[in-house]
Amino acid sequence: MSILKVTNLTKTFGSGKKAFTAVDNISFGLKEGEILGLLGPNGAGKTTTIQMLLGVLTPTFGEISFFGKLFEKHREEILEKVNFSSTYTNLPWHLTARENLIYTSYLYDIPDRDKRVNEMIVQFRLEKLKNQALNDLSAGQLTRVNLAKAFINKPQVLLLDEPTASLDPETAHFIREYILDQRTEQNISIIFTSHNMYEVEDICDRVLIIKEGKILADDIPSNLSKTIKTSTVSFYFDDANQESFIDYCIEKDILHNLIRKNISVQIPERDIPKFLGGMIKRNIHFIEISIDKPTLHDYFIQMASEDGKDENNRLETII
Amino acid sequence: MKLHRVYAIILRHFFLLRRSYEHMMHLFYWVSLDLVLWGITSTYFQNISGTSQNLVFMIISGVLFWNIVQRTQLEINIGVLEELWNKNLVNLFVSPLKIKELTTALTLMGFVKATISLIVGSIVAFILYKTNISIYSYHILAFIALLMLTGVWVGFFISSFLVRFGTRAEIIAWSFVWILTPFSAVYFPLSALPQWAQFIAKFIPTSYIFEEARNLLFNGIIDYKALGISLVLNIILIIIMQNFFYYSFKKVLEKGLVKVY
Repeated sequence: MSILKVTNLTKTFGSGKKAFTAVDNISFGLKEGEILGLLGPNGAGKTTTIQMLLGVLTPTFGEISFFGKLFEKHREEILEKVNFSSTYTNLPWHLTARENLIYTSYLYDIPDRDKRVNEMIVQFRLEKLKNQALNDLSAGQLTRVNLAKAFINKPQVLLLDEPTASLDPETAHFIREYILDQRTEQNISIIFTSHNMYEVEDICDRVLIIKEGKILADDIPSNLSKTIKTSTVSFYFDDANQESFIDYCIEKDILHNLIRKNISVQIPERDIPKFLGGMIKRNIHFIEISIDKPTLHDYFIQMASEDGKDENNRLETII
Repeated sequence: MKLHRVYAIILRHFFLLRRSYEHMMHLFYWVSLDLVLWGITSTYFQNISGTSQNLVFMIISGVLFWNIVQRTQLEINIGVLEELWNKNLVNLFVSPLKIKELTTALTLMGFVKATISLIVGSIVAFILYKTNISIYSYHILAFIALLMLTGVWVGFFISSFLVRFGTRAEIIAWSFVWILTPFSAVYFPLSALPQWAQFIAKFIPTSYIFEEARNLLFNGIIDYKALGISLVLNIILIIIMQNFFYYSFKKVLEKGLVKVY
């Protein structure tokens, strides 16, 4: 069952010659219990899309329905079951973590608020921080308070904007596990953005790739990475073999990337045995070899750098 | 309107008040400072002119009453500004909170804080100048209510600019209400104003209140019709300014709430 349905959503800022379409007629759905990754380079339209889904930005055109109800007509009812957390919005910093959770709990129709606030404090390991003002907390601790706020109303749909940014690896792992547990236990549907493509690959059931306001791809992460036909083969050589290998690459017209004694080449997966066979024939010996299949990361870089739009091939998904 | 959401906003500002000395200080610092300054000035002028005690009382009442308007307005605007300073507007409006619930909560906070400030100011005025505003008897309740209503529409008017232009419009929150002071005839009779200013004053609800407070003080009578006009003007202005605020908020949603701070 589609818990969120977006139809022909469009947002144009300004008018006349200065008009700029940030989101261009996009349609997608979110199933119950699904984790959907929303990816795209800077300025792709992810922020704008999320803002419209939350009702803090009015669409120029199109429809948003949650739980089969039109958002613009049932805002209050829908937002009782939706929540949001972003690394890029703040909570009142003079208030303590506990005070923030207490007042937020009153924004929702929660049966036993004290119990829920205490549950959130325990679940997000805020026991020692609960009475500290937010301006005394580290970035990672603030993210945990932000997430506790986002889960406080037991949402059925959650929009998470880089929830693990600025967290140490252990806490980031804890948060990922928490999100996956909540999906299993509460059947929450989640829209998720992240800088970390490996994380997206790990937890998202499906990924929407947005660029210049349009959806470029809508598929499961493994299918997207399969669209890249080449694998990365990396070698480590001694000096003599390295020189021979470079000559071999030049002879075969294969681009190589040399970093100290590590050389990597991009080769179609089916050509790897033939390429290695050629090395044996030329008596080129490597010390180490690794073969990396294409990942979502590779897909993203390829997609972002197409048309020379992203000269630095940077992986930036800040919304 | 859901009362628990109104309470959420009140709670949020109560927590802030409890932890923030500067917010606490607003409640008594400015009114006390004004009382000292205007009290000394009016006492001096009273002494050299040889007039009755009512001159000091009139000025002190003016300070206390004007503080009600200012405090109510400022608390509404500081409530909005706090969300801008904290970049918290988005967090509030991704919840089911409605704009009218936010304004209701901020208005109630304004009433409470203005009342606290009035009580503190009245105590200071009594200690320093032996002036007791209870001399206005039950009429004072009407004055306070009408002054608070003025604070509300001024607060809504300024909030419209705050949500539209963010903290760039902050200066209006601190300064705008002073434009109304001369037209309200806070410290002098309405007749002291030039004709054109008297005409403008007819549309300012506070001018009727201060005029009737003086009427009661000097002549022992009060014109309830004048207070009625003040009430009607306040209600009209509240409706206009509240709708202006809601319109501004709606316009902001076309640009995106995230961009406002």
